[in-house]
Formats: sequence, structure tokens, C-alpha cells
Amino acid sequence: MTAVLELKGVGFEHPGVAVIDDLDLEVARGDFVVCVGPSGCGKSTLLALLGGHLRPTRGTITRRGHSRTIYQDGGLFPWLTVRQHIAQGLPRDLGPARAAHKIEEWLAVTRLTEFAHHHPHQLSGGMRQRVELARALAAETDILLLDEPFAALDYQTRARMRRELASALVDRPRTVVFVTHDIDEAVQLGDRVVVLGPRPARVRRIIDLPPGRPRSSTTSGVADAAHAVMTELGLT
Amino acid sequence: MISGRASAVPLRLGLPAAIGLVLLASWWLACAAEMFPAGTVPAPADVLRAFAEQARTGRLFEDVVASLFRVAWGFTTAVVAAIPLGLVVGRAPAPRAALLPWINFFRNLSPIAWIPFAIVWLGIGDPPAIFLIFLATFFQIALATAAAAGSVPRIYYRVAHELGLGRAAVLFQVTFPAILPQLLTALRVAIGVAWMVVVAAEMIAVRSGLGFLIVDARNGLRMDLVVCGMITVGAIGIALDAVFARLARIDSVRWGFER
Repeated sequence: MTAVLELKGVGFEHPGVAVIDDLDLEVARGDFVVCVGPSGCGKSTLLALLGGHLRPTRGTITRRGHSRTIYQDGGLFPWLTVRQHIAQGLPRDLGPARAAHKIEEWLAVTRLTEFAHHHPHQLSGGMRQRVELARALAAETDILLLDEPFAALDYQTRARMRRELASALVDRPRTVVFVTHDIDEAVQLGDRVVVLGPRPARVRRIIDLPPGRPRSSTTSGVADAAHAVMTELGLT
Repeated sequence: MISGRASAVPLRLGLPAAIGLVLLASWWLACAAEMFPAGTVPAPADVLRAFAEQARTGRLFEDVVASLFRVAWGFTTAVVAAIPLGLVVGRAPAPRAALLPWINFFRNLSPIAWIPFAIVWLGIGDPPAIFLIFLATFFQIALATAAAAGSVPRIYYRVAHELGLGRAAVLFQVTFPAILPQLLTALRVAIGVAWMVVVAAEMIAVRSGLGFLIVDARNGLRMDLVVCGMITVGAIGIALDAVFARLARIDSVRWGFER
């Protein structure tokens, strides 16, 4: 299968600080890869590199297709309404009638129809993340990059958002790179968990998960995978 | 107890009105008791008569129009010139390094210090007054715009990049709306400064406007007219401020004031 994202010997440094060092990774089409690692290990920098917002100082990154990033917080424009955000996400070549239809569809999917005219500061954290999700998914790009998207949410909302993301991907599969420091989240959502070492980040180990997502912590193999991730991070 | 919206409006209007009445009563009592040396403080009734006289002759109206005309020109040209400069200085490192200290230098220079040059270069009449208002507001607005543009979160530009926005679209769909609340606050401060400066400029370089009304009245020892001019200046200042405060309620900028 062709790799949609391919990193070969990628390094990135801020003046004097190596953030990522000699990182190799391949992500196939439709793959859901979760990157976990200690805080400050360069996970967000990795996503910025994958999104094309930063250039690697060493190595090469090949990206086949367009990407959209979903951030933990602050990725929405405070002056736009929910509807305007979704409209902004849509592909440019849709006619006005089709665009209007798509907006209604995404509002319904993310249960935001009655908040269509609200601004981000008038929404709860969970709703804001659903707007981010709707805008990113509406774009119909091949690649989704998620930077700890649910980290600022409460436990219940976070669990619900995971299910919503997983079901949205069943309907419209994408290639996903998801960064988190939440190990449960990683093993419930990912096809593969990439464990990164402390800064400068390198791949320490890649752990494969049983098929089907999201999976509960009782699915066979999930507990073992979680244990393996924790061992790799030195948490056991 | 202060609670709910029902009591908010009477409180907002009633309290200042009560303070006004207390001030007026104290002023009236002090004058009636002849507490001030003759000719130094006019009585409220004298000021009221001065207002009536000004309204009858139409001079007050003409002076208000003259002052507002100068403020409109000076302020508008400053806004039009300062916002683009502020955007460039706020977003581009080289212009920022080169120009920011100079903008700061001129911002700290009192516009009154420019009066000799304003008169030597532009003579008397509207141009020197407009020039002084321009100077008083241009550097302030440029600096505020630069500060606002420099603090737009980087994440917005990453999102814009992924959305495929071009340079012009980024400027008008990201940078400009992002700085609008801060810009509006800066404009509100600047219009107040412009209004203060026009009065000072009119005391020197022109023969019309509220500043001239005040200085002319002083020359004629008409302190009642001086107070009439002062009250008008203050009232129009409040009105100008209210216009900009209202702009902050527009949907696309309200987020900056509600969070």
C-alpha cells in the first residue's frame, strides 16, 4: 500500500535545541496512527511538520494529499459563527446550493444545528471541538492531523468525542495522525501506536492494535497494548 | 441591593444625574454666597444665558461644526495612514525593528510641541489644526495596530494556510478581524485625544471652533461663555466616545469584549 505520509531521517531544531532527531515513519492510506510520548517531546512539532507549517532541518517528508489539523484549543476564529466555520472548511468547487446542503449535513452530524449562529466563545469546550471536527471533516481532505484534540475536555465529553470521531471515520475514511499523551485514548482509537522517546523525539517502538475502532479497554489485546506503551514510556 | 438588569438602567442614568445635580447645587450655592472674587466664576444662570445667546446667534453651532470638521479630517487621514503602517510593522520583522522605536519616539512627542511648525509650514486656518490632530492620533493608532497585529495567535495563520487562503485573504479574513477589537479600543482612545487636541489647536491657529470660542471669550472677560464652551466640549467628547463604544457591540467584534 502506498504511504500517504513518509518521513525519512527527519530532524528539526530550533536554534540550539534539537526537537526531533532522525525520525522515520510511514503512514499508509486509511491508517490511524497515534503518537504518544512524554510531554515536550516534540509531538506538536511533528504535526506542524506533517501539516507543512514547518520545514524539517534534516531529512525528507513526503505528503500525498492535503491535510487539515484539529488543535486542542484556539484553532477556531472567534469572529466567525459555527456555520461560517463549516462553510470555510468546504471544498471550493461546490456550488452554493450544494454548499448550503453540506453545511446543514455537517451541523446535523455534529449536533450543532441549533448553535449554527453562535460564536466560539458562546460554546462549551466539547462543542468547540465538534466545530473543529466538522470544519476539518467537511474539507474532505485525505489526511487529518489531530493535536491532542480532546485534552481540554472533561472525561465524559472526551469519551463521547472519541466515539464521534471513530464513527465519522467509518462513514468517510481518512488517513489520521493523532497526537496525545492519553494512553487509553491511544489504544482505543489507533490502528498503530507510535511511542516517541524524550526530546529530541525518535520512534522508540510501534505497537499494532487489533482491528476495529473505537475499541473498549476490555477488547482482547488492548490491555496488553496499553501495558506495552506504558512500559516503553517507563511508566510501569 | 443591586441585582438584575431592571435596576441597571436607572442606576446607570440616575446616579450620574444625581451627582450632576449635587455639583450644580454646590456651584449655585457658592455663587449665591459670593464665595468667589468678582469675575472669576460665572453663576449657573449666567452660563445658561450664554447658551441661549449662542443658540440664538447660531455661533455655537458653527463652532461645533468647525471643530468636528477638523477632527473628522485629522482623525480619518490618521486612521487611513496608520492602520496599513501598523499592520506592516506588526507582521514583518525588519520594518518592525526599523520603525517601532521611531513610532514610539513621535508618539511621546506632545502634539502641542508641533504648533510652531504647524503654523510656519501651513499658516493659519484649518490645515495646521488638522495637521496637529493627525500627528496626535497617527502614531498612537499605528502603534496600537502594530501591537495587535504582532499578537495574533500563530495558530490562526496555520489554519489559514491549510484552508488555502492567499495573502490578501489572510489579511482581510484573518489578521484584520483578529485585531479589530483591539483596534476599536485604540480608535476610541484616539478620538478622545483628537477632540482634546482640536480645542488646543483652535486656541492658537484659527478663528473658529470651540477652542477659539473659549479663548475669544476669555479675551473679552466673558467667563460665562468660557464655561458654555467647556460644557459643550465635554458633552461632544462623551457623544464621540459613545459612538465608538457602540461599535464594540457589532457582531464581528463583540467576541473581543465578551470573553
